[in-house]
Amino acid sequence: MKRAPRLHWVSILLGLLVLMSVVSFHAYTAIKPEPVQHAREHRELPERTLALAFHGGPDPKWTPRLLTALREAGVKATFFVTGTQVTRNPEVTRRIADEGHQIALDGFRVEGDLGNPLNLAFAQAALADVLGTHTRLVGAPAEVDSGDRDYQDIGTLVKMSLQHGGGVVRLHDDGSIGADIARELAKAPGYRFVTVTDDRPVEATATERFTGAVTTWSQRNGGIVLMLLGTSIAIAALLGLLRTLMQLGLAHTDRRLRREGEQEPPPWFAPPVSVIIPAYNEALNIAATVRSIAANNHCADVEVIVVDDGSTDGTGDRAEELDLPGVTVIRQTNQGKPAALNTGIRKAKHDVLVLLDGDTIFEPDTIGELVQPFADAQVGAVSGNAKVGNRKGLLGRWQHLEYCAGSNLDRQILHALHCIPTVPGAVGAFRGAALTDVGGVSDDTLAEDTDLTMAVTRAGWRVAYRQQAKAWTEAPSTVRGLFRQRYRWSYGTFQAMWKHRGALLENGPMGRFGLIYLLAFHLLLPLLAPVMDLYVVYGFLVADAPFALIVWTVFLLLQTASAGYALRLDGESLKPLWVYPLQQIVYRQLMYLVVIQSLITAWHGTQLRWMSVRRTGLLTDAPGGTVHVT
Amino acid sequence: MQIFVDANGGRRMVARLVSLTVACGLIVFAAVVGGTLLEMW
Repeated sequence: MKRAPRLHWVSILLGLLVLMSVVSFHAYTAIKPEPVQHAREHRELPERTLALAFHGGPDPKWTPRLLTALREAGVKATFFVTGTQVTRNPEVTRRIADEGHQIALDGFRVEGDLGNPLNLAFAQAALADVLGTHTRLVGAPAEVDSGDRDYQDIGTLVKMSLQHGGGVVRLHDDGSIGADIARELAKAPGYRFVTVTDDRPVEATATERFTGAVTTWSQRNGGIVLMLLGTSIAIAALLGLLRTLMQLGLAHTDRRLRREGEQEPPPWFAPPVSVIIPAYNEALNIAATVRSIAANNHCADVEVIVVDDGSTDGTGDRAEELDLPGVTVIRQTNQGKPAALNTGIRKAKHDVLVLLDGDTIFEPDTIGELVQPFADAQVGAVSGNAKVGNRKGLLGRWQHLEYCAGSNLDRQILHALHCIPTVPGAVGAFRGAALTDVGGVSDDTLAEDTDLTMAVTRAGWRVAYRQQAKAWTEAPSTVRGLFRQRYRWSYGTFQAMWKHRGALLENGPMGRFGLIYLLAFHLLLPLLAPVMDLYVVYGFLVADAPFALIVWTVFLLLQTASAGYALRLDGESLKPLWVYPLQQIVYRQLMYLVVIQSLITAWHGTQLRWMSVRRTGLLTDAPGGTVHVT
Repeated sequence: MQIFVDANGGRRMVARLVSLTVACGLIVFAAVVGGTLLEMW
């Protein structure tokens, strides 16, 4: 196998970081804290010399009026601008500079907030973007307070401004009074007007201008990014809600119909069955699997064919050593699971074929239950109820919950819609004629079970779900094993979806519901889910933490309730539900990483081969208590 | 031939090139912006 692509993860991670930085910066600039006034060093000016220092701007309405007044009076002033205002009003900022006034910095979000040095960097970046300069004059020196924040009377303000007979006078250009007082001060006899310092602005470097462009863009457009994120979340939330409602509604209907069927059960159907077990290096589990099949209580002949696909661990020998009646072992060179299945199908002597993996344990009545839907001549395939056998530990419990609340509930919905896309390799049965119609098991995809099921549906056969036909399968016991298994499933499902994309234009249920269901819930939803997590992090860290917590909790409760209902429908204990909240933190993220990795692999065109899961033989702990697998 | 598999590896090379360009671009972008802000700090 060529190495799976990895580099894209760096891009995705960095992309998410950049996205988070943009929205966080936008949120940061939108908040205006209380202004702070710092008393900096004293600036010595000659007698009867005034330096008018305007703060709080530039303002789109009042600063232009002030500039006009200053121009008419022939006075040059100093504007202690704030960074966010510069970004909001670039034209006014340029006019200040163009008219020869001095530009200085006194804050980023509000005047005086340069105590945080990052604010100074942001403010300089804003200036670099708008004016292409940065300023050395940062923070106002000790000033004479004009009182323009406290008084309205011009006479008082002039008196206060001139109380020391000169100096730097603190004024504001974010209100109407700025222009009026400037006009009056300009008339004061015997006064000379200067800027706070003689420093000229320094030209900003290219990187400063670039950084300024980035921060300015973030401040202006972070809202749009946030809106796009919000839209994705709304779609994801709607899809999630829709799925939950469908699961609950359809599963409930399905259950009701089944109950009605149980009240007047149809005659028991007992055709002879060929069981095909393709196995590659399943020495640890094969004995338990074959024994469980041999212990069946089906009322007709059951032929068992184990196809050893070139195992190197003695899988075939283990099956032969059992020396069970009706069990045949066929050996072949390693050709892959589809080829092994086709070998078994060719050798089978009965028309109903049960296919199962070499790591699965059947209950005694599983075969009998599994074949019941074949009483209907239109049914070409039947899916059984795969359950996690090794459900000890967090990973086992998570997978158990997922099998019940995800896969099996999904299967019930899709059963109601007549478009089950996957009869799982762990427990499924096919009518020989349906397999002949589709030309056997194809090796076009890594999910040969999904490919086969879709082909059978498209060939006009019905695919049924038999919940009572339970099979216990060994789930991966490590995160790495789980990732590899799901990667193969997900990639294989996308391959099968692409292979059968023509179904969308057909009149059958696979195109009308099946593919659309898979697209919405197995592709779109996992792709949007990371955005939801990102938004939760954003909500907690930057925005409204209590609100984010409430939304997150409501969704969690809804999903937990849905999972609880699924467990009940499946006749399972509700005890493992306690691990469900934890599933939202590790397991769910792993699942959407799998989907992203699968999509990228499809794009790369990498040839993936079967990735075997390391077996532990833990199926002996399976809760299928009626099965003796010693 | 499996679905999606690129027989001559051309698509894989283009995809890797795109990934590499995006990753390098983002690293340079983050370094320039972060570095400049730190410098102005």
